[in-house]
Amino acid sequence: MPPPRFPIPQGTLDMLILQILSLEPAHGYGIAQRLEQISRSVVQINQGSLYPALHRLEQKGWLKAEWMESDTGREAKFYSLTRSGRKQLAVEKDSWARLSGAVRLIFDEGSRS
Amino acid sequence: MKQLLNWVRRRDLESGLDRELRYHIDCRVSDLMLSGLPEPEARRQASLELGNLTKVREEVRDVWLTRWLRDFVYDLRFSARSFLRSPPFTATIVLSLALGIGATTAIYSLVDQVLLHALPIRQPQRLVLIDWKGDQVANGFGSWNLMSYPICLDLQLQDRFFDGVICRAATTVNLSTGGEHKPAAAEIVSGTYFSVLGVGPALGRVLATDDDRTPDASPIVVLAYDFWKSQLAGAPDVVGRRVLVNQHPMMVIGVAAPEFRGIDVGQVPSLWIPASMSAEAIPGFHDLLDRRTRWMQVLGRLRPNVTLQQAQIGLQPWFKAMLDEDTRRTGFPRITAERRKQFLASRIELTPAAQGHSSLRRRLSQPLWVLFAITTVLLGLACLNVAGLFLARGSARDREISTRLALGASRGRIGRQLLTDSLLFALAGGLLGVALAAPAMRALIAFLPRDVAANALQSAVDSRLLLFALLISVAAGVLSGIAPALQAGRRSLISSLRERGGAIGGVRLRKAIVTVQISFSLILVVGAVLFVRTLTGLLAKGPGFDTSSLVSFSLDPGRNGYSPSETSRLIRRVDDAIRASVSTQTSGVASFQLLTGGSWNDPMTIQTDQRVTTDRDVNLNAVSPGFFATLGIRMVAGRNFDDRDSRTEGEGGRRSAIVNEAFVKRYLGGRNPLGVRICEGSGPDAKPNVEVIGVVTDFSYRGLREESEQAYFEGDDGGNFYVKVRGTPEQAFQSIRTIIHNADPALPIANFRTLDEQINRSLNTERMLATLSGAFGTLALLLSLVGLYGVMSFVAIQRTREIGIRMALGATGSSAIWLVLRDAVAMTAAGTAIALPCVVALGRLVESQLFGVKPTDLITIAAATLLLTSGTLGAALIPAYRASMVNPTDALRFD
Repeated sequence: MPPPRFPIPQGTLDMLILQILSLEPAHGYGIAQRLEQISRSVVQINQGSLYPALHRLEQKGWLKAEWMESDTGREAKFYSLTRSGRKQLAVEKDSWARLSGAVRLIFDEGSRS
Repeated sequence: MKQLLNWVRRRDLESGLDRELRYHIDCRVSDLMLSGLPEPEARRQASLELGNLTKVREEVRDVWLTRWLRDFVYDLRFSARSFLRSPPFTATIVLSLALGIGATTAIYSLVDQVLLHALPIRQPQRLVLIDWKGDQVANGFGSWNLMSYPICLDLQLQDRFFDGVICRAATTVNLSTGGEHKPAAAEIVSGTYFSVLGVGPALGRVLATDDDRTPDASPIVVLAYDFWKSQLAGAPDVVGRRVLVNQHPMMVIGVAAPEFRGIDVGQVPSLWIPASMSAEAIPGFHDLLDRRTRWMQVLGRLRPNVTLQQAQIGLQPWFKAMLDEDTRRTGFPRITAERRKQFLASRIELTPAAQGHSSLRRRLSQPLWVLFAITTVLLGLACLNVAGLFLARGSARDREISTRLALGASRGRIGRQLLTDSLLFALAGGLLGVALAAPAMRALIAFLPRDVAANALQSAVDSRLLLFALLISVAAGVLSGIAPALQAGRRSLISSLRERGGAIGGVRLRKAIVTVQISFSLILVVGAVLFVRTLTGLLAKGPGFDTSSLVSFSLDPGRNGYSPSETSRLIRRVDDAIRASVSTQTSGVASFQLLTGGSWNDPMTIQTDQRVTTDRDVNLNAVSPGFFATLGIRMVAGRNFDDRDSRTEGEGGRRSAIVNEAFVKRYLGGRNPLGVRICEGSGPDAKPNVEVIGVVTDFSYRGLREESEQAYFEGDDGGNFYVKVRGTPEQAFQSIRTIIHNADPALPIANFRTLDEQINRSLNTERMLATLSGAFGTLALLLSLVGLYGVMSFVAIQRTREIGIRMALGATGSSAIWLVLRDAVAMTAAGTAIALPCVVALGRLVESQLFGVKPTDLITIAAATLLLTSGTLGAALIPAYRASMVNPTDALRFD
C-alpha cells in the first residue's frame, strides 16, 4: 500500500513541467514518467491534464516542440525549454520560494506564541 | 491572433495531437507488458491512466482556440452556409441593413467632422475659447465671439493660466502668386498662433512672435499645404518667393504642416498673415491697436495643471480692472450710466475649443443632429425589419431547432447561433453600408455652400468612421437578432415537435414589431413633410423681388490698393458702362450683398415728436439710385434717391434714407414716415439728422426666412452689383467681364452668379433637410410596408383553413378580406397612436428649422397619416384578397 498522496496544487504542474524540461528535452511520455516518479512519493498527477498543459505552455511560447526520433526508433514530439521559458521558470521558482518562506514564517510565529 | 492562426492550421494540430497521444499509449503499453502484464490488460490500464481521451482532446483544443471563440467560428460557418442557400432572403436583409448603416455612417461622418472632431494640433483638449460676455461698447465685424487685438495681448500676459494665447480673424484677400489676381481665403493671426497650437512647418518656417511686434513691419505669409500643392504645384523653391496680397508685396516664409487646415472646419485658409499686417490684409482697416474694435476670436491653451473653471475664476480680477481702466482711457465713447453699468458688469467666459472655432458648426449643428436622429430611427427600422424576417424564418426553421433542442442543445446555445446569424448579416450589411457611405458623403458635402474658402470636409472613410460603422453594425446585429433568439429559447419543445404547420409563436411579436415600424415611419414621414413644406414655402414666398434675368457679382477695389475715392469713381464708371451695354437693362450697387445670411446692422434712433431707439437691430445697406429699380422693388411712398442725396466728395455723413414697410409698421405706426429723422446708433450721442424720403415694400436681405426692419442710405460706392440682363445670363457675363477688364484688368470678379442661384445657395440647409428627410421618410415607409406585407401574408396563410371553413359555411369574400385586413387596421391604428405624441414631443426640437409651418400642423400630420394608412392598407390588401379567393375545398385539404 503506497502512502496516501495529496493532489497537486493548482498551477504547480506547469512549474514542474518547466523544471523537468530544464534538464533535457523530453517527449510527453517521458515527462509523464518523470512526473510519475515524483508523484509516486509525494503528489498525485492526473496524466490526462499533462497534454493540455504542454500545449498551453507551447502556446505561451515557453516551450518549443519538434518531431524527432526517440530511442525506440519511432518519431515522437520532443518538447524543450525556450529562452522565455527558462526565464519563466526562474520567476516561478523565485515566487514559490518566497511563498513557502512566507508560509514557514507564519507557522514559526504561530508555534512560538 | 495566434489563436486564429491555430484555427487555420487546425487539421495539422489535430493529427499531431493524435500521433502524440498514440505514442504515449503505445509506450505505456509496451512498458506495462515488459513488467509482465498481458497486452489487453496493459492497454486497459494505459488508457485508464490517461483518462477520457475525448475530454483530453477537447481540453487541448480549448488551449488552441478559446471555447466560445471556437463555437463562434462554427456558428459563423453554419450561418454563412445557410445564408448562401437562400440568396433572396440574404440579399433583402443585407440590403436593408446596408441602407440603414450607410445612411447613419454618412451622416455621422459629417457630425464627426463638423461637430466633434478635435483639431490636428498638440493636445487640443487644452484649447479654450476666450469670450467677452456682455456689452463691449465696441464696433465690430466678423462672425461670433469677437474681441479686440489689444485684449489678446493683455491675455498673453496671464501666464498663470495660459501656456499661450492666440487671436485670429478670417478674411478674403486678393492674392497674386505671379500671374492672375485671385481672391483667396486668409487667416489673420497673432504671432503666437503656430507655436501655441503646436503646428510646425512642412517647408521653411512658420510665423513667430517676433513677426507680430510692429504694425506694417512684417510683410510675410505662411502658405497652407493644400494651397501650395494645388496652386503652386508644390514648388520646392517657394520659400522666399514674393507674392502680392492686395497689391502689397509679401514674402513666403514657409508652408504649414500638411494635416493642419486652420481652426475653422468651414473656412480653410490658403495663407496665414500676421496680425501686424492687418492694415494690408483688410483695406481701410487701421484699428489693430484700438481696444473698441472687435474682430478677432481669441483662444488660449490652458496650463497643464489649471482647469477651465480655475482659469475663468482667476481671470475675473484682471478683467474687472481692465474694464475699469478702459472707461478712463481717452477715446472711450460717452455712454449713458445704464450702459456703463452693463459694460462694467461684463465677464470673461471660457469654453472648451478642442474643435476650434467655426460658424459652419454653429449653423449646421442643429440640422445635423436632426438628420442623425432621422438616420438612427431609419437604422432602427431596418433592424426591426430584419428581426421580422428572422422571426418568419424562425418559424420555418422550427423543426430544425426543436430537433436540436431535443438532441440536447442548450437554449442558450441555440439563441447564440441565431444571434450569430444576425451579427453576420449586420457585418455584411455594414461592409456594404460603408461602401455606400462614401458616395453618400460626397453628395452630402455638395449640399454645403462653397465660397472662396473651401470647407475641410472630406468624404474619405477613416478609421474613426470604420469603428463607428462596426459599432453600429454590431448594435444592429444584436438588436435585430435578440428578439428571434429569445423567441427560440422560450418555445415549448413538445408542442413544437408535435405541430405540423407553422407555429403560432412569433406572430404576436412580429405584429408588435410592425406596429413599432409603422409608428417610426409615421414620425419620419411627418418630419419629411414638414421639411419639404418649409422648403417649398420659402421658395414660393421668394425674396420679395423679381429674380428673373437678375445677376449679381462683387468687386473689391480696396483690396487692389484703391483709395475710397478711387473706389467710388471706379464703381460709378463700371455701373455706367454696364447700364450703357446692350446686353443689360438696368444696374445698381449695394455696399452689402443680399441673401448671404449676413448684413450690416445696428440699432437706430428715431426722432418724431419724441426720441425713440429701436428695440432691435435694423438691417442697413447703402445703395445706388438704380438699386430698387433693378430689383423691381416698388416705392410705396415718397421718392427714390437721386442727385440731391449724393454727397459731394469729402463731405461726411448721410442726408436721406429709405425705409421698408416693416420699419414703418413697427416704429412709425400710423404716422406719416416721410420727413421723419433717423440715424444709426442708439447712444445718447446719436444725432437723428437723416431724413426719411421714401418707403419701399419688404424684401429679403439676410435670407428668405427673415422679415426685418430695413433702412437704406444713398451710396454708389458699394462693390456688390445687381444687374438686370437682356438675353441669357451667360451673354451678359461675357460683356460684364469685358467692361471690368477694360476698367482694370487686375481686378478680380467675385460671386458671379444669378440671383436664383444665390437663393438656392441661401437655402442649402433647408434643401439638405428636405431632400434627405424626404428620401429617408420614403425609405422608412417602404421598409415598414415590406414588414407589414410579410406579416400579413403569413397571417393570411395561417388562417387559410379558417377562412375556408367560414366560406364553406357561407361567408362572403369581402368578409374574408375584412378578417385579414382587421389586423392591419389595428396595427396601423396602434402605430399612429404611438407616433402622434412622439411627433408633438419631437416637434419642439425641429421648430427652429421650420418656416411657415408648425411642427404640430394638422394638415401635415393628417396628410402623412393618410399616406401611411393607404400604404399599409394597400400592402395588407394583397394577401387579404389572395386569402379570400381561396377555394374552400382546397383550403380544407391544405393541411
